[in-house]
Amino acid sequence: MSVSYGGDSIVFADGSVQSGGWTGMRNRIINGAMVIDQRNVGASVTPASGQYTIDRFVAQLSQSSKYTVQQNAGSVTPPTGFSNYLGVTSSSAYSVTSSDFFFIAQNIEGFNTADLAFGTASASTVTLSFWVRSSLTGTFGGALRNSANSRSYPFSYTISSANTWEQKSVTVAGDTSGTWIGATNGIGINVAFSLGMGSTYSTTAGAWAAGNYASVTGATSVVGTNGATFYITGVQLERGSTASSFEYRSYGAELALCQRYYEVLYNSADNAGIWGPYTTSYGYRGTWYFKVQKRIAASVSLAGSSAWTGATPSIFNGISSAAFFSSGTPFYSAGTADTLAVQASSEL
Amino acid sequence: MLTYKLQNNLNGQPCAVIRSDGWTIPFATGNTDYQKYLEWLAEGNIPEPADQGE
Repeated sequence: MSVSYGGDSIVFADGSVQSGGWTGMRNRIINGAMVIDQRNVGASVTPASGQYTIDRFVAQLSQSSKYTVQQNAGSVTPPTGFSNYLGVTSSSAYSVTSSDFFFIAQNIEGFNTADLAFGTASASTVTLSFWVRSSLTGTFGGALRNSANSRSYPFSYTISSANTWEQKSVTVAGDTSGTWIGATNGIGINVAFSLGMGSTYSTTAGAWAAGNYASVTGATSVVGTNGATFYITGVQLERGSTASSFEYRSYGAELALCQRYYEVLYNSADNAGIWGPYTTSYGYRGTWYFKVQKRIAASVSLAGSSAWTGATPSIFNGISSAAFFSSGTPFYSAGTADTLAVQASSEL
Repeated sequence: MLTYKLQNNLNGQPCAVIRSDGWTIPFATGNTDYQKYLEWLAEGNIPEPADQGE
């Protein structure tokens, strides 16, 4: 066995690369292997803009119903080493206008990017890598952006063969300008993959720009071809100038990382998730203690086909629990066992 | 179009809004749903009052 040292990485005899900063959370992307799909459990969705699909990946769109998202859409064989992918399918042949935008993105929390020191003279170089497969070929685009969308690094990559998995990597010198939030619970870095972008949000690839750009000029429009597919997995953003091997995490660890932003409670075998039993002097109360503390006090609602039986309780939201209250009537969330009962969201 | 209804805490003070799609959204500055509610307010919209007795 031989190894070689590449400055900030070690290359092993089998070609795999181990980059610097290899302990802890090397990959800043959560659920980059598209394993966790709490909301839809593999079902196809036609997302509204801002709607989360597979965990941690949000759909953004300026026109409704132009694409669907589904874990393992089309049931193709994922790249070696992966079991899942995020699949986008175009729902029409839409001609993108100048102000249109269609993309999939992940907002990485500032706590997980602050060490990269973007916005300072010490900004770290980062490398984005991913596996992608499309029914279309050509130049595709994406971008890294700050929380205010006032700093953007549009990048391009080429898909050479239709319906074939290809691994891509983009190395980006960290931004030494602009305002990037530090160690807070806001958006540290937004990573976007374009599915079709108007000229307003497109510019030249390969340089930091002041303004909101999520793709590159002339990039392929997935939403422009009815039935076109865009599949992606193995998304990794890491410090350094080399794309290292994908950082696999255990299913439980990945789920817990996702649950900081979204969590569901399943109905139990007796067809109830939340119960509101009577408490002397305090009416009927039930409490959902979250498995993972949330990024911020969470929004809460019923999930799936569950419904309240008895009263519809008031919900009092927190970062570690949600309390359900009814002053005069008992209640419970009713639904089939092991289906979604209630959900909490504190997404970025 | 989504609409909102205020929800009071047990002391009778507004503490959250109930969006018409069923989500209860706390008054938490960093909550993105709350930020969208503030944008909705800024457009001149007015939420429904909270139910009495909550």
